[in-house]
Amino acid sequence: MAVAWIGNRETLVERAAAHAAALLGSSRCPVFSLDTDIHGTRAAIALAERVGAAYDHADGAALSRETALFTDKGAMTVAPGETRRRADVVVIVGELPQVHHEFVGELAGTVPDLSAKNQREFFLVGPNGASAPPLNNGRAATLLSCGEASLGATLAALRAQYRGRQTSQPVSNFDDFAKALEVARFPVFLFSGDATDGLALEMLQGLIADLNRTSRASGLHLPASKNGWGSALASTWMTGFPLRTGFARGFPDFDPWRYDVARMIAAGEADLHLRISSSIVQPQKKRHRMALIALAKTQKPIAGAAVTIAIGEAGVDHEAVFYSSRTGSLRSVDARAASELPSAATVIRLVASHVSAEAALPC
Amino acid sequence: MLTKIAGGDIIDPVNGRLGQGDLWIRDDKIVGAPAGGAADRTIDAAGCIVMAGAIDIHSHIGGGNVNTARLLLPEQHAAHQARPAATPLSNAGWSTFQTGCLYAKMGFTTVVEPAMSPGAALHTHLELADIPIIDKATLAILGNDDFLLSMIRDDAPSTMIEDYVAWTVASTRALGVKVINAGAAAAFKENVRTFSLDDVVPSYGVSSRKIVKTLQAAVDSLGVPHPLHVHCNNLGSPGSADTAASTIAAAEGLPLHLAHLQFYGYGTEGKRKFSSAAARLAELVNTTPEVTIDIGQVMFGQTVTISSDVMRQFSARGSASPKKSVIHDGDGNGGGIVPYSYGKDFYGTMQWAIGLELFLLIDDPWRVFFTTDHPNGAPFTAYPALFALLMSREARNEMIAGLSKSAMALSTLAAIEREYTFEEIAIMTRAAPAKLLGLTDRGHLGAGAIADIAIYRRNGNIAKMLGQAAYVFKDGDLVVQDGEITHYRWGKALRLNPSPDKAMVRRLEDYHQQRYGLSLDWFNFPDSAIAREQPFGEVACRT
Ligand SMILES: [Zn+2]
Repeated sequence: MAVAWIGNRETLVERAAAHAAALLGSSRCPVFSLDTDIHGTRAAIALAERVGAAYDHADGAALSRETALFTDKGAMTVAPGETRRRADVVVIVGELPQVHHEFVGELAGTVPDLSAKNQREFFLVGPNGASAPPLNNGRAATLLSCGEASLGATLAALRAQYRGRQTSQPVSNFDDFAKALEVARFPVFLFSGDATDGLALEMLQGLIADLNRTSRASGLHLPASKNGWGSALASTWMTGFPLRTGFARGFPDFDPWRYDVARMIAAGEADLHLRISSSIVQPQKKRHRMALIALAKTQKPIAGAAVTIAIGEAGVDHEAVFYSSRTGSLRSVDARAASELPSAATVIRLVASHVSAEAALPC
Repeated sequence: MLTKIAGGDIIDPVNGRLGQGDLWIRDDKIVGAPAGGAADRTIDAAGCIVMAGAIDIHSHIGGGNVNTARLLLPEQHAAHQARPAATPLSNAGWSTFQTGCLYAKMGFTTVVEPAMSPGAALHTHLELADIPIIDKATLAILGNDDFLLSMIRDDAPSTMIEDYVAWTVASTRALGVKVINAGAAAAFKENVRTFSLDDVVPSYGVSSRKIVKTLQAAVDSLGVPHPLHVHCNNLGSPGSADTAASTIAAAEGLPLHLAHLQFYGYGTEGKRKFSSAAARLAELVNTTPEVTIDIGQVMFGQTVTISSDVMRQFSARGSASPKKSVIHDGDGNGGGIVPYSYGKDFYGTMQWAIGLELFLLIDDPWRVFFTTDHPNGAPFTAYPALFALLMSREARNEMIAGLSKSAMALSTLAAIEREYTFEEIAIMTRAAPAKLLGLTDRGHLGAGAIADIAIYRRNGNIAKMLGQAAYVFKDGDLVVQDGEITHYRWGKALRLNPSPDKAMVRRLEDYHQQRYGLSLDWFNFPDSAIAREQPFGEVACRT
């Protein structure tokens, strides 16, 4: 089975890695986009430091909204396990990514065993017509909306009404919500940066802070991407910063605008793109003057890539460490169908070993 | 390889070796002088003092809460220079890589992360594995988790509780157990806002005292070398000295370690109702031999408080500077991150003075431990300055001149003449921590010990001398020369490995299935998940 290509020509992994290293070595502005597990991320950041690259998640925008909540404002959060065991009111904030629907369904199918109330009520914040993930047992979430108003505006109205203030447009079903809060012991708001903008996330935290003046409440962060949030955690311990960090100046430099890799590519700033995706392969628009190095689970060269190296899927072809939104922490996963395909981390380290440098890589 | 460290002043209180002489290393171990052996390498230590590598028993260096603090404060730790060639990623401000390098430069070779949430054990160990050069260890947090509180409520037999503690320590690869504001995090989830030693967790009917006593007994009968590590209730409150005094009294003859006592050294006297109770607490420690404490010294400047005492951190949110914080309700403790700046005002001065009073009024250097509760009282990079304050009355007086006069008027510090000697420093930061943690292979320079050695060139400037070691060896590798990293390597995380009871594992499997809808293996991990060679080193339990 072919596992490495230079252009469309099949080659040895070693040779492809050396070629990738040469391209990285001569690049003026290399950028990495990651969609990989913790160890893939660790290796990629170590390589980024060596070649002065900037790195971002493959879907950098959603992740960046989530990291910005923490870097700019802070938050009150709760663990998923405590949500399952304690939340007597669950408020779904906007659209949640598909991957979290099963958990929401599970919340509907269970009762909070650590709550005196022993039952849960569901609400959904969103515009008219918004729909919640399917809840078990034929249950429904009560919609809290301000007509067509944005999520941020709806949350602002909800917060104002909770504080007893007038709002230009009242939130639908607010009385039901107020009544639920009156007896609630631990309401939890489920949120994600996927379809929720920064202002809405901030407004939600304002509401949670208001609730905590006299009673308890918190927010459960359900990340837009588990790989994205895992990479953000690893990047933070390795460099002090989440993704959208660059090493152009020789030290880690965090700038969510400047090191938005999608922006750097669109603006023509980047001349080399290393794309690491151990799960899915998305087709990419060919850009002139920018070379592509693709690490992907593939049996053929990626169209337009100067170098393609096949890697296994983390947790399928090889064991992996992921962020788990079910435990709220990192989780070790065995290979589901172990194969010979190398991990992203292994291939990245191989590339790094061909980049001239005086010291060994730390990851 | 045979190395001779020649002509240094050896300070090794454990083996009673004090004075000029040679020290020999073969490969990774200290050895006696070989008969007629010729050294492959000789280090000239003339004019230097030679001590074992230092051990920090309480420093928040990695894990979920520490990482959240980094994420919350990108503006606090930007790096400003390109990296030195030999130290990848070590210039990244407040990163794992920098943590290992900065500790090593000061001659520290083992550091304990004292607050590992069991559910975040894998995350914690992954971070620790990225801290280069030094060895690490963790304490697993118990005492706010439903499983334990339910067992105490239901009067479970002590053997069952021990099985649970043993399983937790083994599965999380911990070196000991810590309890943080016992019961308060659970109570906070039920909207309780203050919590003392004899308060009771709603829904369980279990007091904080009962939780502490239960864990203390379990840790002792399991033979865990490190006594239960206690973060008391009411941290930071005026009057918290009463809580600390009650907790010291609750030791009742069994070993107990109280963390960062400075944060409980507060009385309620004076017009601000905030005063030093250090003399009272020091006297209690002096007369209670089963109790050990560390200080949690405050040093002035910007820092961030990171604590699994979620109730306390929630109430401190208002003092956040800059104005942002994270409060997390976790499966057991959770935690809170509140940035804070210690100013030289009345309160900051009082806290600074109380820490130093405790250091200087507690007589036995084997029972008082050198910490700033990094980064809660100050970042560990303040250690050299703190050594200077302990070793020089003149340094203290110089500092006092620039501080709040009204605070100093309520403190005995200015009148204390004691100056720590190098021998006492060696006890407090080497010999005693090794003993407290059950690490017989370090903390001294006797034959057979691992070659963790710190060599400091004598200098009238103590902070400079102890801040930039002349040479540091870790496991016989020369890692620091003239205060700079010269060799990059990976240490281990030291752990206990009691064998888990099968019935307890089945019980926990059922519990996790029922309560979390997940099997236990969602929370377990193999050593290979760390992706480093030999990430762990095993330490024996007492038999
Ligand atoms: Zn601490």
